[in-house]
Amino acid sequence: MKKLKIIAGITWAILCLILILILFPGLNSFSSSAATLPFMKINPNYSGGVVVKEMITAGCTLDIRKPVFDGLLKERKTGFMQIDWRGTLPEKLSDTIDYNLDGIPDFWITVDRKGSKTGLNPFNSRVKNVKISTQTSYGWAVRVDLEK
Amino acid sequence: MDNVLINSGMKKPFGKALLYTLPMFLITFMFMSGGRPDFSNPASALAMLITFLFVNVLYFLMHYTGKTDRYRAVIFIIFALSLSFTLISNMVAMRNSMSFSQADILECKIPFCHLVIPMMILPAAFTQSIIFPGSIIGGFANIASMVVLWLIATLVLGRGFCSWGCFYGGWDDGFSRIRKKATVKKISDIWKWMPFAVLIMVSLTAALTLVPTYCDWICPFKAVTEFEQVTSVESATKAGVFISLFAGLVVVLPVMTRKRTQCSFLCPLGAVNTLSNKVTPFTVKIDKKTCTECFKCVEACPLFALSKENIIEGKVSVFCSKCGKCVDTCSKKAIHYGIKGVPAGTMMNFSRNLFLFVSFLFIAVFSSGSIINSLKSLLNLFF
Repeated sequence: MKKLKIIAGITWAILCLILILILFPGLNSFSSSAATLPFMKINPNYSGGVVVKEMITAGCTLDIRKPVFDGLLKERKTGFMQIDWRGTLPEKLSDTIDYNLDGIPDFWITVDRKGSKTGLNPFNSRVKNVKISTQTSYGWAVRVDLEK
Repeated sequence: MDNVLINSGMKKPFGKALLYTLPMFLITFMFMSGGRPDFSNPASALAMLITFLFVNVLYFLMHYTGKTDRYRAVIFIIFALSLSFTLISNMVAMRNSMSFSQADILECKIPFCHLVIPMMILPAAFTQSIIFPGSIIGGFANIASMVVLWLIATLVLGRGFCSWGCFYGGWDDGFSRIRKKATVKKISDIWKWMPFAVLIMVSLTAALTLVPTYCDWICPFKAVTEFEQVTSVESATKAGVFISLFAGLVVVLPVMTRKRTQCSFLCPLGAVNTLSNKVTPFTVKIDKKTCTECFKCVEACPLFALSKENIIEGKVSVFCSKCGKCVDTCSKKAIHYGIKGVPAGTMMNFSRNLFLFVSFLFIAVFSSGSIINSLKSLLNLFF
């Protein structure tokens, strides 16, 4: 039994040596495999949710993302929706948004990029206020607080 | 044979130490240069050469002098400093600031670090997603690579990750070495259970809020890496907490106690790594036959992993990070690196050589990128 324990311990230690030896050369391949695991995606609370509608105007694209209410076990009562303007943007952005895609506009949003001023005019009582409005590397992004 | 080993300690003659360094020399050369060193940029080539020689000289000295912690601490502290330098210089180059903006969060551009891992487990299980605004794959410090690196390192080294792999630990390790004697000597070792309380608290709060609460509110290392832009009372409070905890737990207390207080009392990942100490094959063993119970190792241990009871019992606790400080302190060589299953006092040289090779290879390769990068930046400043 004592000998068996010694052999098992040394075998495990040598396996660990092999693991460390292959870790760095194989890191890219291991990471790529790890990235395919089902939970390896950024939570919508950070990524902003999936794009459900894309509106293209001259030189500029407006992405409307799916509202995010994600909680740990069930959806929360409050959440947000994100809109992104990409491309060559005019100084002032102004768009009417139908976030739930029911054909009825939910709010009107204006962004003065120079003055970093954002205005929100809700047509739907579930639309609350502007949570984030910021310049991004691709253009401009706004998150609007919502109630379910 | 064991008596010979005990009398000579772990020192090796010059030639033998050189021979033991040769595999490390070849492997680190392959890993750092990719087998094809690039001499087109003199600063890069010089930085790589200095780093390569530096790590191999340290490894050689570990074998030649028989001391472990003395040389481990050098690379460990330089790793922490160089990583902070690399991160801050990257941030300043990209954003002209050490702070990240809302746009960086929205675009998921925040570098991921291993301290987030305990908080992402519950949300990953329930929501099938990662609660961190970083990149899953590709880019600097992506989530998949950091998870793989930590997972394998913690499987192999257990809590040894905290002394051989963590790029923050070098900060409080460094400050704990500033004074020769501790001014505060009596600290109840009950505090060593604190990281488990922090782990439970941050895991639950992160799961409930879907926010990595430790990074968001507590992490002292935000003070030397990056933190949220101060734009509100909330973000100013957070910055205040980061700086206060850094000053208290990473600077002042380690200087006063000669202990790694942040790692011992706060780090939630340290608690997870403590559990993984049960899995790793490498351990520190006490040879009761040669131990004189002088308890110098208890005083030396920076992580409260050794108590008088442990020594009397002849067993180190699961809190051990295998830093080697106790091993270096023991003049009788009664405390030594070992392999689980192998009785204490036997195969001491084999166990130490194997553990040193595995752990040093990990830190040498893991740290080389940031050390090379920092050296390159410094060389570019001067030449």
